[in-house]
Amino acid sequence: MDQSSVAATTHHDVVMEPSPYAIEKKKLGMWVFIVSDACTFGAFLFAYGYMRVGAPVWGTPFEFSSILNGVVMTAVLLSSSLTMLASVRAAQAGAKASAMKWLGVTMLLGGIFAALHLREWFKLIGEGWRLFHNPTGGAAQFGATFFSVTGLHLSHVVSGVIALAFIARGYQRDRYDASHVETVGLYWHFVDLVWMFVFPLMYLMNAR
Amino acid sequence: MGATLARAAVHHAPPQGFIRKYVFSVDHKVIGIQYTTLSLVAAFVGMALSWAMRIHLAWPDARIPLLSLLSPNGMPGGVMTPEYYLSLMTMHGTIMAFFVLTAAPMAGYGNFMLPIQVGAADMAFPRLNMASFWVTFVGFVLACATFIIPDGPPLSGWTAYPPLSAVGPAAGPGQGWGQNLWGLSIALFCVASLLGALNFIVTTLELRTKGMTLSRLPISTWAWFINAGVSLLAFAVLLPTCLLLVLDRLGGTSFFIPGGLVFNDQLQPHAGGSPLLFQHLFWFFGHPEVYIIILPAFGIVSHILPTFIRKPLVGGWKVITFAMAAVGTLSFVVWGHHMFVSGMSPYMAMVFSVPTLFITIPSVIAVLIWVFSLYRSNLRFDTPLLFSLGFLSLFITGGIGGFFLAQPSTDSYLHATTFVVGHFHFTMGLSAIFATFAGFYYWYPKMFGRMLSEKLGKVHFWLSFVGVYCVFMTMHLTGFAGAVRRYSAFVDDFMVPLIPTNRFISVAALLLGAAQFIFLFNAIWSRFKGPKAADNPWGATTLEWDTTSPPPFDNFGGRQMTVCHGPMEYDGEAAVMQTSPESSVAGT
Amino acid sequence: MSSNRELTMSSYVGIGVGLMLIVGIEVILTYQHLPTRTLLFSLLCLASLEGFVAIMYLMHVKYERPILFWTIFPATLFVLLLLCYLWPDAIRMATMRLLK
Repeated sequence: MDQSSVAATTHHDVVMEPSPYAIEKKKLGMWVFIVSDACTFGAFLFAYGYMRVGAPVWGTPFEFSSILNGVVMTAVLLSSSLTMLASVRAAQAGAKASAMKWLGVTMLLGGIFAALHLREWFKLIGEGWRLFHNPTGGAAQFGATFFSVTGLHLSHVVSGVIALAFIARGYQRDRYDASHVETVGLYWHFVDLVWMFVFPLMYLMNAR
Repeated sequence: MGATLARAAVHHAPPQGFIRKYVFSVDHKVIGIQYTTLSLVAAFVGMALSWAMRIHLAWPDARIPLLSLLSPNGMPGGVMTPEYYLSLMTMHGTIMAFFVLTAAPMAGYGNFMLPIQVGAADMAFPRLNMASFWVTFVGFVLACATFIIPDGPPLSGWTAYPPLSAVGPAAGPGQGWGQNLWGLSIALFCVASLLGALNFIVTTLELRTKGMTLSRLPISTWAWFINAGVSLLAFAVLLPTCLLLVLDRLGGTSFFIPGGLVFNDQLQPHAGGSPLLFQHLFWFFGHPEVYIIILPAFGIVSHILPTFIRKPLVGGWKVITFAMAAVGTLSFVVWGHHMFVSGMSPYMAMVFSVPTLFITIPSVIAVLIWVFSLYRSNLRFDTPLLFSLGFLSLFITGGIGGFFLAQPSTDSYLHATTFVVGHFHFTMGLSAIFATFAGFYYWYPKMFGRMLSEKLGKVHFWLSFVGVYCVFMTMHLTGFAGAVRRYSAFVDDFMVPLIPTNRFISVAALLLGAAQFIFLFNAIWSRFKGPKAADNPWGATTLEWDTTSPPPFDNFGGRQMTVCHGPMEYDGEAAVMQTSPESSVAGT
Repeated sequence: MSSNRELTMSSYVGIGVGLMLIVGIEVILTYQHLPTRTLLFSLLCLASLEGFVAIMYLMHVKYERPILFWTIFPATLFVLLLLCYLWPDAIRMATMRLLK
């Protein structure tokens, strides 16, 4: 149609059909990934629910200190989502230094979450909890489901922090732009979203 | 909203050097050929396993010296033990279902053709695409590695039901490292498939060239796109299932292992788990998996038929596409029909049985579209058409058997007989294979720039078609007679009269396998000696036929492709290319 | 490239505070000695509310084209709701157990 709009450059710009979603392809790719990851977490949580419903004695061992720890972790992760948003907004406004600062804060908060989580894990392991052992005498599946679900979430937090580091470095060096920051931000919000379900189901439902 | 100017996916220059061009390539065409080659190798491995099984079933005392070299424990003196039979069966199913049927028609042809069919220069995420292939490759290597480890491959079936698959080495040979490698292989395959599905979805939505609206997409593209959606959701649930199984095996957990189990005089230190949970999670993936296997076949046949009947499919693009979408969606709600005799709640059996009958409706609509499209058409009986018609025949035959299995009453008798084996080989196995062959004969000229031999193709078709019926139709009969599947010998009194029939099946299977070497020879020989292919040897209309054979690095040689027509505008000998004359190679 | 300009940063902080309040309600409910099923149902409802707010605002879906929401959400919900087919067998495991 409009031949003049076709650039004959080495970069090979072409006229394409618009996307029905009107978003960049890496952002759509991230959304598609999020759907699959949500289903993976969902299957894990359903397996937990199945075990719990089917178990004769489940036990609800978490003292208030564990719940409080969980609330703090939730606050940390939620704050990191807000700082991630701040970073994306700054990047989209072209304020690179501010975006980098907020990216750094997000990574730090993610690290704090992971540290709090690991501290809690070590405390539980010290009390005798294992994947296959419940020291309170309830179902052994408690340890299995708790460590596997929270472990999967923790691995997502850690990979998220690593991904943020990569994006931050690339953004600093102008290899990546605001759209990359936004895309990794989507992943980070997803990790927070999963925690919004993991915390009530794994902690609050098992509170003493 | 009009078409927008956008940066194309590909900004890099053509790769230099052998490694970047043919090994670690991000070019979707190379990756498609890599997947297809992997599947071809896997198919011959899987077939060889089935020959060993069939030889043992027909002649239980036969010696197979080659295999005894591979596994002295499993084949002492060259004679197969029952456990090794189960191991061969497990890996036959695993390799065929995953590395052949799921890989070839979707990842193989889809990777090569989808970007070209939508008018793009590559997939949306080329490096992710390369990663997907190599992860699949590692998965395949691990699956094959189970044969050379001392303990051998696992024997729990491709379905790997716990507790057998979960308790570890106590359960039998191959249940130690064999099952671990299997689990790892499948987990890697899951990850690769998820990333591949992501790529297909984003490419189809985001990288269509000017004028390629969704209503003008070739039916094969629609099939790959819908299939990618199904794959995404199904593999997302298989991955945790595999992880939970691995945790049971290596982490001491008891997700799937009940208490009080004694294997080989060893009390298992597990309690509280549910084997049924595994079955639910596995078949949640497992049923959509069979549609993941067949949907690309639907797409390939729907793409090929119009070219050789020289008219569009009945109902145009909409009806067949909605049928495929309906099949894909409904595939998620029927998984329990694999579990009718498992001890699942009988009320759930009803809940699963009803949609199982309903899912036949879109399948039948698709079949009727293909059959009715043949009416009053000028059939050009080239090999791609023959294999497409063969697909139709096999799918219909297999589908009829499905009615008996869909209802708990009749399934109670037929479950775990060779009737089921015959059924799924027809519907899932061989019909997808025939569609894959159809696609191979159809797209080979485009992929390699040479024509395959028509004569050899026709011989391959007829030998395969007759062979498939001889082998798998007979299995329906032995299944009615009560022959149990996954048994390595016919020892029960009522099964002894079936031995001659069994021998017939085995002989037919070996001949069927031999016929595939004709295909292999044709594929390899034609690559070097076949006549050079024109750009559009079949007189087809879609974008892949509007470029050279094989296509250049960026698929279209820098041209702005503009689409003006739908994919099925055939009218006898005349066919209207999808692309506008200005953008066409043949145009001025 | 979409813009986050529709809401100010302080609005997002407000949303964050609101989400923490929901978490607070969840914690309070936990210690009300409710029957297990009621607690589970309430927590799931509240978590779903949190999730919905997170998706719409934090993940910006409210300001994207509606088709993005209508593709992502139903597909995920479809899988999660279908997995509920597992419950009858979980309940059978609890009620039809041979050894208590």
